[in-house]
Amino acid sequence: MLKGLYTAYTGMVNEQNRMDVLTNNLANSATVGYKKEGATSQSFDTVLVDKIKDGSEDVRTARRIGQGNPGVKVGEGYTDYSQGAFRVTDNNYDFALSGDGFFTVEFTNKNGETSTMYTRDGNFTVTADGYLVTTDGDYVMARGANNSSERIKVNPNEAIVVDQQGRIMQNNQMVAQMKITNFNDYNYLEHYGENYYVPVEGAELELATDCKVFQGYLETSNVSIVSEMVEMISVSKQYEANQKLIQTYDSSLQIAANQLGKI
Amino acid sequence: MVRSLWSAATGMMAQQTAVDTISNNISNINTTGFKTSQNEFKSLLYQELQAETTSANGETKPIDSQVGLGVRSSSITTIFRQGSMLESPSASAFAIEGNGFFSVKGNDGNTYYTRNGNFNISIGRNGLELTTTEGNPVLDTRGQPIVFQGTLTASNITVTGDGEFCYLDDKGNPASMGIRIGISQFNNPAGLEKLDSSLYKVSAASGNPINEATATNIQKSTIVQGYLEGSNVQLADEMVNLIVAQRAYEANSKAITTSDTMMGQANQLKQ
Repeated sequence: MLKGLYTAYTGMVNEQNRMDVLTNNLANSATVGYKKEGATSQSFDTVLVDKIKDGSEDVRTARRIGQGNPGVKVGEGYTDYSQGAFRVTDNNYDFALSGDGFFTVEFTNKNGETSTMYTRDGNFTVTADGYLVTTDGDYVMARGANNSSERIKVNPNEAIVVDQQGRIMQNNQMVAQMKITNFNDYNYLEHYGENYYVPVEGAELELATDCKVFQGYLETSNVSIVSEMVEMISVSKQYEANQKLIQTYDSSLQIAANQLGKI
Repeated sequence: MVRSLWSAATGMMAQQTAVDTISNNISNINTTGFKTSQNEFKSLLYQELQAETTSANGETKPIDSQVGLGVRSSSITTIFRQGSMLESPSASAFAIEGNGFFSVKGNDGNTYYTRNGNFNISIGRNGLELTTTEGNPVLDTRGQPIVFQGTLTASNITVTGDGEFCYLDDKGNPASMGIRIGISQFNNPAGLEKLDSSLYKVSAASGNPINEATATNIQKSTIVQGYLEGSNVQLADEMVNLIVAQRAYEANSKAITTSDTMMGQANQLKQ
């Protein structure tokens, strides 16, 4: 069959994947701490194209006629970790991070297993027992001794004041210091959902050095609707172009199958 | 194929919830003691788009390429910011400055809490009684309805900053009546269950009420007579949030239209 038919097909599949990624950006355009994601397109490995032997060529060698490229695929998924704008909420338990770093959260799944996850979403609350938790009830972590993490327990009857280093003060006494974690290479961060990131094997964790905590603010999503809309136009038009190519191949094949050889 | 369609649908539903919350806030902009709510979102789970991915210069990336499945509304948080004090000609209008709540006995006999201090002095079975505008008795520090014994002139009843009722004698000197308005605080007021008529109900998340009269080391609230606490809704904030929600809704609907067009084009492939 014609090679180009499959090339155009990979083009359509790839544009659909890009559409999926950008729609998720749009859906999360008002999600706290959300970071824009994207997928690059990459060509398949090039292959050598040979002319199939026929009578015009030497019997032993196939004539090389150049290189072909059988299509396109997703190159890599990337996340744009640039800073989102701040939104004032005046809520004592809302926090935003400025700079490179993540809040450390002890996540409990449905089976009751706990794991450590990282998030830029600082929309927290305090339980009746005084623990600082996310809106889903996962514990926010503080720095413990020897680089360990511990849950943050405050006196729920008193207001908390948090400075830019993440130190939580009550009655001018430091109660705990939020554990703000940073990663050497963000390529080792996987998305979990629920605004969480999970490091994969090989990730190097460190305490964030140039990251400030702001109390009473939330970091908005860094999705720009304009660029997503422009990309949506480009996706839909490239999808259409690939579709037209397939239709063209289809009509050529139709001629080959039905009209050739007619007397 | 349907992934983008459904992601956009979750986006539209989440923004719809946001608009619902905002319109409820705006409609309560003149409700006494109303506290504004705010909607927050969380992303849904992620799927693998392609297992092996390589960067532009051909190196294999440590993670696979992922695609998220949309968004959900994660919480609607009540913001208990102090509302502004509005003067009221009524002597039985009270406002709380601080974190406390008035307690009110409901029709079912349970105690409910409110920031709305627009009370009435009505004639009850045992004499003059302090009630809400719905007629439910307001409770004192011991959880008993506030009843004034004897024949009194309602306009001569005054209340001090800590909630103590006083009665003015002929010369205008206040004498304590031995009754104090009950004020309760909560560990986590955002966990209170919201009911109609500006009432709140205790829930597991809010913790038990802390009686300001008996509790030590809490910051006590002040009662202001002749004032009502206005709603803490900030119209400018709500309008900005409304613009964001509406435009996000629109963008998601465009994504649905585009996905639909793409599906239509795929269907046209076979002639």
